[in-house]
Amino acid sequence: MLAKKTTSLISPTLSSASFATTQTHSTLTATTLIFLIAFTLTRCFEQRRVMGKGGMSQGEGSKVEEENMAAWLVGLNTLKIQPFPLPTLGPHDVRVRMKAVGICGSDVHYLKTMRCADFIVKEPMVIGHECAGIIEEVGEGVKHLVVGDRVALEPGISCWRCNLCKEGRYNLCPEMKFFATPPVHGSLANQVVHPADLCFKLPENVSLEEGAMCEPLSVGVHACRRAEVGPETNVLVMGAGPIGLVTMLAARAFGVPKIVIVDVDDNRLSVAKRLGADGIVKVTTSLEDVGSEVEQIKKAIGSNIDVTFDCAGFNKTMSTALAATRCGGKVCLVGMGHGIMTVPLTPAAAREVDVVGVFRYKNTWPLCLEFLTSGKIDVKPLITHRFGFSQKEVEDAFETSARGSNAIKVMFNL
Amino acid sequence: MGKGGMSQGEGSKVEEENMAAWLVGLNTLKIQPFPLPTLGPHDVRVRMKAVGICGSDVHYLKTMRCADFIVKEPMVIGHECAGIIEEVGEGVKHLVVGDRVALEPGISCWRCNLCKEGRYNLCPEMKFFATPPVHGSLANQVVHPADLCFKLPENVSLEEGAMCEPLSVGVHACRRAEVGPETNVLVMGAGPIGLVTMLAARAFGVPKIVIVDVDDNRLSVAKRLGADGIVKVTTSLEVDVVGVFRYKNTWPLCLEFLTSGKIDVKPLITHRFGFSQKEVEDAFETSARGSNAIKVMFNL
Repeated sequence: MLAKKTTSLISPTLSSASFATTQTHSTLTATTLIFLIAFTLTRCFEQRRVMGKGGMSQGEGSKVEEENMAAWLVGLNTLKIQPFPLPTLGPHDVRVRMKAVGICGSDVHYLKTMRCADFIVKEPMVIGHECAGIIEEVGEGVKHLVVGDRVALEPGISCWRCNLCKEGRYNLCPEMKFFATPPVHGSLANQVVHPADLCFKLPENVSLEEGAMCEPLSVGVHACRRAEVGPETNVLVMGAGPIGLVTMLAARAFGVPKIVIVDVDDNRLSVAKRLGADGIVKVTTSLEDVGSEVEQIKKAIGSNIDVTFDCAGFNKTMSTALAATRCGGKVCLVGMGHGIMTVPLTPAAAREVDVVGVFRYKNTWPLCLEFLTSGKIDVKPLITHRFGFSQKEVEDAFETSARGSNAIKVMFNL
Repeated sequence: MGKGGMSQGEGSKVEEENMAAWLVGLNTLKIQPFPLPTLGPHDVRVRMKAVGICGSDVHYLKTMRCADFIVKEPMVIGHECAGIIEEVGEGVKHLVVGDRVALEPGISCWRCNLCKEGRYNLCPEMKFFATPPVHGSLANQVVHPADLCFKLPENVSLEEGAMCEPLSVGVHACRRAEVGPETNVLVMGAGPIGLVTMLAARAFGVPKIVIVDVDDNRLSVAKRLGADGIVKVTTSLEVDVVGVFRYKNTWPLCLEFLTSGKIDVKPLITHRFGFSQKEVEDAFETSARGSNAIKVMFNL
């Protein structure tokens, strides 16, 4: 609406400017300048809805028309930066300029296999889902966010009509549309359009990279809630990769007194120690070693293990988890290493060791941001590698992430 | 105070040698004397009247072990039981001689953290009838803590009292899985435990129950007992997983279900035997057979 008014203001202005060519040159320059300043200032203060079409964004603040680009998974092991047309901004949507995007193990898995469990990449798909950026445009119904706000994005859009959504377990919605879970495009792009209620404003002292880290951190937070950890539960974490580490950090923030973490990799164990693990144990991938490893773990923790998080998800790690957890305790399966497992379930069930599953997260962003802003959790040490947004850097970044070991979280800065 | 097998309790006019069914070796049960311990102030002496055979009893007979529990010396078998009080310790207030009671088998320590938080079924010091090295209750008499003896309502028989033990497994499972009027249920297996679980689930208000088994006999029993659906399945291969170990605080609820008629366990008792050497052997053989033998009950 205002756009039209402004435009109509310009036209007579320009015509009066041309009419004024009969005047002195300096007056013309001054007049033009005044109107240009007024025009620019007006545009800065108004909010207006723009119909983004065919990849050409005409948002506020962008003086040149920009083609939105994204990193597309076009085939096995093949990522290509290509145009990514944005959808129309709905009344409850925002358009976000991506600033920080992390690589998840699932992103790497899609690259290498074009699938993840039952999700299959059948056509080219934009990759990436751990992200944060700056609001550049808001839908008319959006009240809690304004242009310029820095936000972290919760990737998944639920239906809000089914029973699961209505009882709050929206992470399990069968109609879930989740960044970079086919066929839904991801967010490793210059810009995305997303529901405003899934964008969480970052506190002043929380960086955009930390904002992007809210996504993996949410996995740890949700697991801690599901396993009901707290000041009276001692915890064992299987695996010191990015997920094991965020789970450990979350557990500590939930008040867990003692945490032991295990891994096969010395690098990752030393990072875990630095991040506050009470004990670290190097383990193997061999099932034969379950007995001796359980002994070592018990020694390291010095008390009963109330809750174990298996953040790797293999026969070996689950077998160890089930054996190490006390009667009446819980094992939370977070990692998805093996699709089908053979584990000693009966003896564990006969000790009332409950197995709890997790799928992504729900209602975790506010808590993650609270943990980050208060300093209860520091995720910054997990970001070990950074890359820019170019064809070569995207390829190198994924290669680095896939390597594991000293590469924990690889982050794109756009 | 009964000593060395000679009981001199109230109501017994002749000196009696207490006898029990002992597991003395692989596949070998022998009825032999079973000396009773001294009655403590909080104990009762119970004359056994009804004792059911459990799959674990059969397993001990056949293998002399069950998971990590190993029978290293002769052990009295049996744990699903009910009887009549014949003697009470001086500290016992809630029971009197003549009361008919169902027995909860396991004696917990009541000092450890698990006991103190109420999960006493997981007590590491648990002493449980017929879990070695603790003797069972297929005997003329046992001595047992009074707080583990539950008085039977008038309209609940001694056999139903003995059925409280397997029924408790079903009740505890239903509590652990939090079933209720809004949870539809599938039961894998229509043996004694599948059936008591189904009955308990219905008593907890479960609207729809489907039960599966490989055996037609058992499936038809299940249908008669109220399954909404039955499916015959095979043994060849194909969430939050919750385990259960025995039960806790289930006898009062079991007795309520039985007295109100919400649960009828009587159809599960398919075979009955008396307490003699031959009958004990035949009873276990019958129980081990499975199929049309669901619950085999001793009447003593």
